[in-house]
Amino acid sequence: MRSAIALIVLFAGVVGLQAAQAQRPPLGLPQGATGNVLYVRSAEFMKRAALSYDAIVADAYWIRAVQHYGGTKIANNAGSRASNKQYDLLYPLLDLTTSLDPYFDVAYRFGAVFLAEPYPAGAGRADQAIALLQKGLRAQPQKWQLAEDIGFVNYWWVHDYTQAAGWFNRAGDMPGSPNWLKPLAAVTLAQGGNRDSSRRLWTEIRDHSDYDWLKNQARFRLSQLDAMDEIDILTRAVDAYRARAGAPPRNWLDLVRAGLLRGIPVDPERHILQLNPETGKVTLAADSPLNPLPDTEPPA
Amino acid sequence: MNAIEIEALTKHYTTGFWRPRPYPALDGLTLSVAPGEVFGFLGPNGAGKTTTLKLLMQLIYPTSGHASILGKPVGDIAVKQRVGYLPEQPYFYDYLTAEELLEYFAALFGASAAAARQRASGLLDDVGIGGERRVQLRKFSKGMLQRVGIAQALINEPEIVFLDEPMSGLDPLGRREIRELILRLRDRGCTVFFSSHVLADAEALCSRVAVMANGRLSATGRLSDLVAFHVRGWELVVSGLPDTALEHARSLGHVVRATKLGEGRYALELPLSPAPDRTLAEMIGQGARLVSLNPVRDTLEDFFVQQVAASKPRTSAEVA
Amino acid sequence: MRTIRLVAVNVFKESVRDKILYNLVIFAVLMISTSYLIGQLTGGQDVKIIKDLGLASISIFGLLISVFIGIGLVWKEVEKRSIYTLLSKPIRRGEFVVGKYVGLVLTLVINVAVMTVAFYAVVGYMGWAAPENVRAAFPSPAADPAMLKAVALIMIELMLVTAIALFFSTFSTPFLSAMLTVGLWVIGHFNDDLRNLGSYVGSSTAVWLGKALYYVLPNFAAFDVKAQAVYGQPVPMGYVGLTALYGLTYVAFVLVGAVTIFSRRDFK
Repeated sequence: MRSAIALIVLFAGVVGLQAAQAQRPPLGLPQGATGNVLYVRSAEFMKRAALSYDAIVADAYWIRAVQHYGGTKIANNAGSRASNKQYDLLYPLLDLTTSLDPYFDVAYRFGAVFLAEPYPAGAGRADQAIALLQKGLRAQPQKWQLAEDIGFVNYWWVHDYTQAAGWFNRAGDMPGSPNWLKPLAAVTLAQGGNRDSSRRLWTEIRDHSDYDWLKNQARFRLSQLDAMDEIDILTRAVDAYRARAGAPPRNWLDLVRAGLLRGIPVDPERHILQLNPETGKVTLAADSPLNPLPDTEPPA
Repeated sequence: MNAIEIEALTKHYTTGFWRPRPYPALDGLTLSVAPGEVFGFLGPNGAGKTTTLKLLMQLIYPTSGHASILGKPVGDIAVKQRVGYLPEQPYFYDYLTAEELLEYFAALFGASAAAARQRASGLLDDVGIGGERRVQLRKFSKGMLQRVGIAQALINEPEIVFLDEPMSGLDPLGRREIRELILRLRDRGCTVFFSSHVLADAEALCSRVAVMANGRLSATGRLSDLVAFHVRGWELVVSGLPDTALEHARSLGHVVRATKLGEGRYALELPLSPAPDRTLAEMIGQGARLVSLNPVRDTLEDFFVQQVAASKPRTSAEVA
Repeated sequence: MRTIRLVAVNVFKESVRDKILYNLVIFAVLMISTSYLIGQLTGGQDVKIIKDLGLASISIFGLLISVFIGIGLVWKEVEKRSIYTLLSKPIRRGEFVVGKYVGLVLTLVINVAVMTVAFYAVVGYMGWAAPENVRAAFPSPAADPAMLKAVALIMIELMLVTAIALFFSTFSTPFLSAMLTVGLWVIGHFNDDLRNLGSYVGSSTAVWLGKALYYVLPNFAAFDVKAQAVYGQPVPMGYVGLTALYGLTYVAFVLVGAVTIFSRRDFK
């Protein structure tokens, strides 16, 4: 059967050449250039162009936003390859999604987290996150989750605790809001940036959020806070040792022998904490997934 | 070597989506056609005529059986050089003109551009297409398309021509032209195999015929053998016949049936005996005048209807 | 060979007499010209935008021709029965299919050539009309000959889409053929995502499936070097060569498939 042989040979050729293509280095793009272009940025135009299919077009943009975020993140994680991809399409895509469908809640909340998160895990644009959320509030003025998210972005990334407290308060006033928002507002105002209030915020998010990825964020943040608590405890032990012995400890065993420690300390992800014998500073292991630790203390 | 040799040719289609069953469009056809014959392939619609032609042109593939044209199996490329084909209700590329179509086909046979042009032009003259040859085929009427179809079937001066309902769509003048064309082809030694359900054409043209019914071959042979040209009665047309004379002849059994054509004018069906001249003489004695006297013979149509009625329909097990 | 050429010339004649082709070409040329006006409104970035729009237009209009004419190439002849008379002539079924393909590719080549010439004329003019300091800031020359590599790969991409459309046309109705062809084209563009399917979706079946599809389905993403061309990034001839070879091998594979299917079918 001549045609069968031809088909098999050609198929092998196709697969082989595809494998060859997979092996070659990808073509580069100059620093900061987006591989993708968003030809339509105007939400107004898109609303008209979508005719009666707004919802589906919104879905399409949402999928693209998630793809854009995921694809960029994976490319950046891949390390050696051209890894300077930016998230600059994330805000326009989320903006288009929510303009076409103002009730697309997950888009707002996704934006709140990943627009504000600094590069390379996010776009590092807290201002864009807040703008998006405020747009959402214009469509749904009584949606407490959006107000809470604005408070959260202000709290966690912008470190503007007055603003944050104000927004938590407003959220607490909205119908259906949980009863921990008002107390959180008070705590934030009083001791904003304090680790306790942060812990409270994340605990509430972890316990009450309807999105898995948000819950995971919260768990992650809480682990980081636990790690910071641990570091504080260890730092106090190191100081105690220094006061007693006149010199900083060389390693953890010194502290154990001195009775100040029960065992080799690990962080919540089971990575051994590091002690710098010269400065006495305690830090996370370089390969701990909890890096980088957030900076929650108010700037001095 | 026979021009066409068909042996136990069978084509089953599967019908029915949920419980597929075979539908025998053609069932075990065995037939041969000698070179130079004009062969009529007759039968009612759905008898399997077009299926047979498509199998011969290798437009479809047989379920079983074998066929050959000019000694080579069906589909042989070299043989296609010597074959012409006109399908039923032909359609051609409507963006081409009649001229361009024929030149294209001529080129497919290997003719040079000049030879193609000449051949095309000659054939278009033969089939009676004049100035319209420069018009795009999308503007052609059914009859004109049929003429173009015949022209393209002859573009390569074939030794054997397959025509599927060649007269369809033509006016009486056109039909006569095609009949003459087929006779000219025969005179040139071309084998003509044509399918039709118009029996008058077959009677006028064919040396041998085959009658198909329900996918099977019902009868085949020389026309004169199949249809016994025996006289079974007479048709007498008279004028000026008085009613009394008619009643008298009827009562004697000399007239089987009478059809009134006008005042005193009748077409009378007479039995074989008594001899018609006797009955005629009596009527003339009563004042009638002779218009015509003709023998009544079995026609191909009678034979055809008989055969089809006798043929077994495809059984219900076979048909979905 | 001769029969293939004759069929191909006929396909070309048909697409020329079928006015759709004229409209597409005019529209594409118009598109490129209006992009010049758009460029005027976005100061500074205009050459880049026109290059983007121009290359995208060449690609999209070529795609429209490939799909819309490709899906009917064989189907129309079978549906209208013109295939009956044609196949009674000394031409093999395979020669018919290949002839149809060559004819449409010929049409595409002419179209792409016309559009490319218009494109270069527009960007060339813009480059010439730009003031010296603006021109110095271009990442690559306005009428950059390196963009021809992008056009060449677009041409190969179109050849592959045409082959796929033709393949479906040998046994399927136009609507279905269009859906399948466009579907394959879209999936082929997300080729990279297929490879990484495992990291998006948890299951190991997904990983295996993603990888298998990655190797088997046509990789249309590889033909897209428009971004590189516009930014003046070098595209090595080795890349162009390998990708072109891949494309042509896939075309051969699809055509053999089409010929095989077409040779075996009954024309009811």
